[in-house]
Amino acid sequence: MDTKPIVQVKNIGMSFDATRALDDVSFDFFPGEIMALVGANGAGKSTLIKIICGYHSGYEGRILIDGKEALITCPKDAYDAGIQTVHQIINQGVIQSMTVAENLALEEMLSPDQPIFYDYKGIRKRAREIASMMDLDYLDLDAPVFTISQSDRQMISIARALASDPKLLILDEPTSSISEKEAERLFVTLKKLRDRGVSIVYVSHRLHEITRLADRVGVLRDGKKSGVLESPFSAQHIVHAMVGDIDHEPVRKEDVHANKEVVKLELKGIVVQEGDRPLNLKVYEGEVLGITGLIGAGKSELAQVIFGINKPVSGEMFLHGKLYDPVDIKDAINHGIFMVPEDRNNNAVFPQFNIRQNIVAPFLDSFSNSLSLLNVGKERKEARRMIDSMTIKCESEEAAIDSLSGGNQQKVVVARWLMTEPKLVILDEPFQGVDVKSRSEISKYLRAHIGKSSAILIATDIDEVVDVADRVVVFNSGMIAGEQQAGEIEKDTLVHWTAQVPEEILN
Amino acid sequence: MANVKIRDFSIKWGFLIVMGVLFVAFSVLQPAFYSAGNLFNILLSVCIFGTMALGETFVLIIDGMDLSIGSIAAITVMMSAYSMVVLQLSGVVAIIIVLLIGAVIGLFISFLIVKVKIPDLLATLGMMFLVQGLQLIPSGGLSIGTGAILGNGKEAMGTFDPGFKYLGQGRVFKVIPIPVLIMIVIALIVYIILSRTKYGRIFYAIGGNPEAARLVGVNVNKYKVIAYVSSSIIASLAGILLAARVGRGDVGSQGTLLMDAIAAALIGYAVLGVRKPNPFGTILGAIFIGMLMNGLTMLSMQYFWQDFIKGSVLVAALAFTFGLSKKR
Repeated sequence: MDTKPIVQVKNIGMSFDATRALDDVSFDFFPGEIMALVGANGAGKSTLIKIICGYHSGYEGRILIDGKEALITCPKDAYDAGIQTVHQIINQGVIQSMTVAENLALEEMLSPDQPIFYDYKGIRKRAREIASMMDLDYLDLDAPVFTISQSDRQMISIARALASDPKLLILDEPTSSISEKEAERLFVTLKKLRDRGVSIVYVSHRLHEITRLADRVGVLRDGKKSGVLESPFSAQHIVHAMVGDIDHEPVRKEDVHANKEVVKLELKGIVVQEGDRPLNLKVYEGEVLGITGLIGAGKSELAQVIFGINKPVSGEMFLHGKLYDPVDIKDAINHGIFMVPEDRNNNAVFPQFNIRQNIVAPFLDSFSNSLSLLNVGKERKEARRMIDSMTIKCESEEAAIDSLSGGNQQKVVVARWLMTEPKLVILDEPFQGVDVKSRSEISKYLRAHIGKSSAILIATDIDEVVDVADRVVVFNSGMIAGEQQAGEIEKDTLVHWTAQVPEEILN
Repeated sequence: MANVKIRDFSIKWGFLIVMGVLFVAFSVLQPAFYSAGNLFNILLSVCIFGTMALGETFVLIIDGMDLSIGSIAAITVMMSAYSMVVLQLSGVVAIIIVLLIGAVIGLFISFLIVKVKIPDLLATLGMMFLVQGLQLIPSGGLSIGTGAILGNGKEAMGTFDPGFKYLGQGRVFKVIPIPVLIMIVIALIVYIILSRTKYGRIFYAIGGNPEAARLVGVNVNKYKVIAYVSSSIIASLAGILLAARVGRGDVGSQGTLLMDAIAAALIGYAVLGVRKPNPFGTILGAIFIGMLMNGLTMLSMQYFWQDFIKGSVLVAALAFTFGLSKKR
């Protein structure tokens, strides 16, 4: 790579309300290379991509094109600067009811230079050129797009993006909804484009694709640039940069609380999704069990089975030795099994409720009398108690939830489920969008109050899990790849298990 | 900072101040406006759509919309008349029949929304149309009154039960109209349910974030059904008041009830700056509309201005609610 970078992002930062999504991130993109961009959920990948393609305007930092500063504040700016993006959801990139030709030549079709009377012949001619450039001559130009395959639709989006001869082509999770065979075809195309001198940014969490395809890998973590890996690199290197070690003080003390005499929850031969191998897992009383693994490894899916959201395909669960088969979420809650779901904003926060109302939401029965009238005084008292013990920074329990920082909002959501003593609480990615201080406070609180309860803490970031857990289990491809006790944790081994290909685990 | 304070103050008190100023202005310009008789007239004029608006409030809270309530009130009027005048049933039986009809329609609407998964607005739009047509069928498209000749050539011999008519025309102590009293009682019940009980809290939770509500163990579909059935039954109650007032089954009785009810509930968002559906706001919204119409009519506004003015008030209230919001 002796050439100059074609697109550079410099010191990019972005905040949403109190959450710092990106902080001082710089990358260079060179012509004729495929640069992968990786990071756990919430690491800032999509924010960065959206900034580059003009969806966000209030960012800090600069974007340089051919060494010259470009002001990109709307999608058209990015487009004019030669940046083209193919978004993750294939069907947002095509117009279903139009023909292949119209989709390929969409830009011409919608351009103000078009004659008033619709010139389908001209559109078709232009579409033919675009199609042959991408070896898509086999497509029926007159077929409506809803009749063709997902991968062909994606090819149309890519072809259209390339028709304007872009400097930078961004592909956001392009393989997430196409088959493996279709993905192979995509890779061949991408390599061809690279050899033609296009600079490609490839966002994905499928490490094995990246190791085959990418020339370099840019890694984001907690909104910061965690590094750039130059070829040759392995899946393990990438995982390490994504979720491996960062120096800071662990929360967990050496005394391990788990009472191995008492099994709290036992999974026997649980199959979460058709085709998975059966899982066996025990959670002990007083234990914080950490589960880590990449996105799609089956962590959250297992949590959803335990919390009664989905039924397992087969297998049985036992709570304190008794068969536990929740019919729905309410049933799980009645059994004392709680869950702090991932993605606080979409799944946990009631935006129009104040802090008190957010905290007591699942347990209104215990705050109301036989006439269902709520006892607000009791609500306040309990909310106040949780605010104090979890050190939630707020004016009062009556303050609006959106007046809090991300970390404090997360504390409210955690407080909701730790207010009454759970038998088992699952925390699914509880540290997403949470500042380091709040994270450590939540972890400490969990450790200090675990008592006779148990907790399952799920996080892609290995450090987040190792910090708190008495025991760490690594998920990979729906299987348990390995397990280590606190005190004997070797992060390299955890990283290795995380990055393995499924065949290795089976052996 | 001063600007923020003025804005916050006007968001909270603006609506009530405007309402108070109008009240004083009407009283000064037309002393007859400020008499007990006229004030009860105002309440009487709003009690039917005001009651319907209270039902609509349930649906608005869960982020839905019920366009069928006008038709439900209409079918209630027709079926009350049909039960008493044609089938010669008693008033009590008629009331039971029409409330059941309301409940069944509500159940069917929730079935379309929850099971068939038609978007709320479209499902209730379709049902509005369907029920509006359905109400015409039993009487063959004709209004029903004592002595009316039915489609089969027979004369309807029954009469409206006097007890039934009392619901629409009677007055307690010869002053307070019964329908106004009924609206106030329903308003109090709805207020207690929505503001003081766990059920109200759950409705608001669903409206704020349905996924979060599901994940704290709420059966979201069950509460959607409850909301739509409540809305339909309350619309039937309003229909009973209407039938009792006019004393006959008039095919064109629904008039602008639907629009008035929705307007009242939406204007209610602006009351005290709560920016969400609430029963107190709904009732004040209804009274505001009634007061404005009454006052302007007394100042000799011509009737064809009515809808234009109601619409303007609604748009202004919405602009006030959403435009002056704290963020963005």
